[in-house]
Amino acid sequence: MIKIKLKCFSQVKYALGKNEMVIEMKIGSTTSDLEQIVKQRSEGKLEHIDLSIAVNKKYVKDEVVLNDGDEVALIPPVQGG
Amino acid sequence: MIKIEIVDDLIDPFLSHDGRLEQGSELVFNGRVRSMENDQKIIALEYEQYDGMAESELKMIAQEVCQKYPITDLFCKHRIGTVAVGETSLHVVIWSKHRKEGLDSMTFFLGELKKRVPIWKWAILQDGTKIPSDCTHS
Repeated sequence: MIKIKLKCFSQVKYALGKNEMVIEMKIGSTTSDLEQIVKQRSEGKLEHIDLSIAVNKKYVKDEVVLNDGDEVALIPPVQGG
Repeated sequence: MIKIEIVDDLIDPFLSHDGRLEQGSELVFNGRVRSMENDQKIIALEYEQYDGMAESELKMIAQEVCQKYPITDLFCKHRIGTVAVGETSLHVVIWSKHRKEGLDSMTFFLGELKKRVPIWKWAILQDGTKIPSDCTHS
């Protein structure tokens, strides 16, 4: 198993009620697997929200395999300015 | 030169001075907090950032701007934390030889910032309730 540190912001934080959490996943799990887990835990609150993904504070465009200790953020539409 | 700062207090604007003899254009943008969010009256916005990533993404965009347009300097301050209605949340100054590249580069910078920089707003309503802002205007 691997441990992923999930950072939660904006609607993701609102949906999960946490700033961050540690999620245990099988070795070889990907960003898409993590997104699915998070969406399931959100009980439908993130269904219609377009989420980008950052691994270790960098955007990833394609699905990537996660490693033990990775920090991942599912990034809802940003609102700077 | 590029300067990017994320601050958690009132924004102290970058200095305008008369020593820039080669730059005919000094363009300043201040983004301010409006009193209404989605038809609701608010007292403030609370800005939340992804610590570390927001600043690095801002720097990356600023570097892209400097490669794409012939500007000499881009300075930016973005405030996080609670920003009261009417206060400045974003301050950008771009210096260039002529106004066109200044205007074009400012438009590009602000557009990319609003698409990529991991900063979010929570609306603070008059009764103190805090809710995620739906505002994603470009």
